Amino acid sequence: MDFSDEDMTLNQSDSDFNYTYDYYDINDLIGPCQYSNNHSVEQVVGPYIHTIICILGFVGNSLVIVTYAFYKRTKSMTDIYLLNVAIADLLFVAALPLIVYNELTSWSMGSLACKLLRGSYSVNLYSGMLLLACISADRYIAIVQARRSFRLRSLPYSRVICTIVWACAILLSVPAFIYYNRYEPTHTKEAMMEGNQTSLPPQYVCEFKFTDNSTAWRTKVAIPSTQLVIGFFLPLLIMIFCYTAVIVTLLRARNFQRHKAVRVVLAVVVVFLICHLPYNITLFYDTLNLFEQHSCELSDTVQTTKTVTQTIAYLHCCLNPVLYAFVGVKFRNHFRRIIQDLWCLGKRYIAPRRFSRATTEIYVSTRRSVDGSSENGSSFTM
Amino acid sequence: MVSFNVTVMVITFLTVCLLPTNTSAVYHECCRRYMKIKIPFVAIKGYSVQTDIELCPINAIIFHTKKGKACTDPSLNWVMDYVNRLRNKAQMVHVKTSKAHE
Repeated sequence: MDFSDEDMTLNQSDSDFNYTYDYYDINDLIGPCQYSNNHSVEQVVGPYIHTIICILGFVGNSLVIVTYAFYKRTKSMTDIYLLNVAIADLLFVAALPLIVYNELTSWSMGSLACKLLRGSYSVNLYSGMLLLACISADRYIAIVQARRSFRLRSLPYSRVICTIVWACAILLSVPAFIYYNRYEPTHTKEAMMEGNQTSLPPQYVCEFKFTDNSTAWRTKVAIPSTQLVIGFFLPLLIMIFCYTAVIVTLLRARNFQRHKAVRVVLAVVVVFLICHLPYNITLFYDTLNLFEQHSCELSDTVQTTKTVTQTIAYLHCCLNPVLYAFVGVKFRNHFRRIIQDLWCLGKRYIAPRRFSRATTEIYVSTRRSVDGSSENGSSFTM
Repeated sequence: MVSFNVTVMVITFLTVCLLPTNTSAVYHECCRRYMKIKIPFVAIKGYSVQTDIELCPINAIIFHTKKGKACTDPSLNWVMDYVNRLRNKAQMVHVKTSKAHE
């Protein structure tokens, strides 16, 4: 039957339809999408892969924080940034098991937990990404603009920048705080049914909920778009610009360690791209086609891709301590002292020799800018 | 500080590890496409409403039939007609039951 005859059949009684009843079969029904592939992936990724990410991220980032908190008295600008990245990543991995737990248990921790967890997720995402952009800008100033770096890379200056970054991250997350709510979706509550129905326990979700259609449409596009632009493309562009200039300057300099430094810079950019590009492409595609009609196979595939690529993006917070902090010789020396202080025997097992081969510390004394840059440059570790 | 960290770590680890044992996953279904054909009214047992102000991206009326759920376009006349007829049916049952109790 077609839409064209709907007006004709409007006032017909039920019995008139009886003859058509046999013609409609189960294959013609288009029901709500079950996302079965995505659910089977989530069953594995949710509890198991996220556990690994949580543990690795927790260990790595708390070691960074402990090292800075207790053993680094003279903090440079880079140290302040690295400490803030570690704090953002640690908060993120602390929230992750709670989010996974709640998603599996119909948000049993309540509506405040829903808002706080979704909001803190967003805050940490933005602050983490923007701080990585700040680190690249800091290295750019230290190496490329070495003459100005003495003035620009002061401690109060970096504290102000970190405060601005966190304030921006919180501001950008305000919509998440407002629009994430714990509720029972209306379409899973059965509105009207004949006969006796089996009443399931209420199934809560922590998702967007709006008061009107236009806000809903705008915000459902605005939130992922902001995440794409400010949480990915802006830091990526800043990093590409800064690190390209850094690599060009390093290759020109007559420093015997420059190749190691270039390798570290490339590793930072490549890992960033591998971790975040797949997820952001999927997010972009999903946002672009959000209101279009899709087959369930396609939307299940998109959803599954999103789950997998998001997990890859989460991995980044475990890699940051290695890529940024532990790669620096000075940081490792401080860290080694902690180990020595904690376990006197530790010195014997964690021999300095094991790590020192892979080290890279860049002295920015690139000969050209001698004045003032030596003390400044010595604090710059990669 | 370190013992505190270890404690938190162990708790986190246990929490996450124990998860799959005592939970059933919550499935959120969404209509992403509408039926192109009309369903006979007699096959319908009830309906529910999917609105785009919640997690799903499109509005839909989901008819519960004997053979499963069907996503339909709320902008079509026959869909809203079915909804009204289901509502009237419920209203009539309500009135009859109220009278019987008097």
